Amino acid sequence: MNDSNSSLYAKRQKIYPRQVHGLYAFWRTTGVVVLLGLYYILPWVKWNGEQAVLFDLPARKFHLFGLTLWPQDFIYLALLLILAALTLFFFTALAGRLWCGYACPQTVWTEIFMWIERKIEGDRSKQIKLDKQHWNRKKILLKGSKHVIWIVFSLYTGLTFVGYFTPIAELTYSLLHWTLGPWETFWIFFYGFATYGNAGWMREQVCIYMCPYARFQSAMFDKNTLIISYDKKRGEPRGSRRKSADPKALGLGDCVDCTLCQQVCPTGIDIRDGLQYQCIACAACVDVCDEVMEKLDYPKGLIRYTTENRLQGKETKILRPRVILYGVLLASLTGILLYSLATRIPIQFNVIRDRAQLYRTADNGMIENLYTLKIANMDLKDHLYRIKLSGPDGLALRHRRDRIKVPAGELIELPVTLQIRPEQIARPRVTISITVTDSTDSKLSKTVETSFFAPVRRHAN
Amino acid sequence: MSTDEIPKIQKIVSVAWPSFLVAGVATVLFFTSFDPREFLAPTRFAGLSRLGAYSIGFFLFWLVGFASSALTCYFRRTCDDCNDDNPAD
Repeated sequence: MNDSNSSLYAKRQKIYPRQVHGLYAFWRTTGVVVLLGLYYILPWVKWNGEQAVLFDLPARKFHLFGLTLWPQDFIYLALLLILAALTLFFFTALAGRLWCGYACPQTVWTEIFMWIERKIEGDRSKQIKLDKQHWNRKKILLKGSKHVIWIVFSLYTGLTFVGYFTPIAELTYSLLHWTLGPWETFWIFFYGFATYGNAGWMREQVCIYMCPYARFQSAMFDKNTLIISYDKKRGEPRGSRRKSADPKALGLGDCVDCTLCQQVCPTGIDIRDGLQYQCIACAACVDVCDEVMEKLDYPKGLIRYTTENRLQGKETKILRPRVILYGVLLASLTGILLYSLATRIPIQFNVIRDRAQLYRTADNGMIENLYTLKIANMDLKDHLYRIKLSGPDGLALRHRRDRIKVPAGELIELPVTLQIRPEQIARPRVTISITVTDSTDSKLSKTVETSFFAPVRRHAN
Repeated sequence: MSTDEIPKIQKIVSVAWPSFLVAGVATVLFFTSFDPREFLAPTRFAGLSRLGAYSIGFFLFWLVGFASSALTCYFRRTCDDCNDDNPAD
């Protein structure tokens, strides 16, 4: 990124979006405040004394408001991501690029960065003037302070980001005591740099060149999808006129060609050229055009949210196969996710046979096999489990130690020895099963099959 | 299309960005299935923290994706492009 603006695919003209006020600007600002507020506050929210939302990567556990998910629960996370994607498709089919205009992190952070820029450098015309101006003390001071604030804000954003993956209280503590681990430090800078680069420099280029959603969102569109459109029939022929003039007498449409719709556009397009791939449906042009129409006493909505069908004078159908299909998929997947979460058995049980030897014969003549039982208590409270065996008669745990307490959210590896008298085992390999069951709740139970080996018996003739 | 028209930064970004996205997905899938502390335990990287292993894993995946995308770009060159490199006398 340099002054020659030769960045990325097209020679880039720096865009200076003019500030807008109005209904949709209000909703976008609300989105920014709510979403960024959530982002920065959420890691600090506690739930039962623990961080409420923590994707604890070092401990390989995800905490979501009291629910603890383990790597074995990956299916839930996958379902959640599929649900998020379907929700996006559903809303895209209904209302176009709502996501881009109001909720996408790129939009939200860019808004904040532009707000900082406006506070320091002034409005659009002042920014343009400042950029054209030769470097002097004032310009260095203004540009320098803008970048310093951007960078500090970005690093704080990076810290918060890492705080979703390692406990944020510890992270802040080690930051203040200068004992931050190397990887945490690295990712704070990495995410901070990405924020600074994307929201400060790249801006609309992220949407145009880098965003996968922007590339495929048109696949969800049809003639009934809400889009932002300029009413050509009403606006053309465009032209400036005095407020008192009668446009009909001048042979003009309602568009006064003030170009404000272009000036407010964060991606620098002219909405009057029709629906374009670059349009992120932020509705800034709707707000500014309504303002102009109001000043001229013309009806609002020369640029407005509408559908292709309505523009052509046809009815807009909301319930259509595409929307119904996405809706049904969304509802059934949500049902599946909730059902499987509600019926999830919060215990994970694995059995690993000792690799070193198949069996051994103890001093008292018993045949012994060694196993490691891995019991993970994925519940929020401690559990006392009972270990039961099923296999040939006489198969038993050495020392009869058949109870094990596993604290909430812990994984315990328990080495056990199973033994049997040689005359009670007929074959050199038998399948046995080991069951762990909660001592009070018999439904909380998992069974694993494994093998028990014994020496081949030589029958004396 | 002549390759001269594309700015160098575009070529680099068009290789780096898709491999970044894929590396992210690959890292999640790989490390959900395998715990680095377990498979690194018998190696000389046993002391590496999980966060360190995830991070290095991510960059290795990125490198693999980068190499693959870069080769695609390289082999996309047409015969004419290659001939232009060695103009016949």
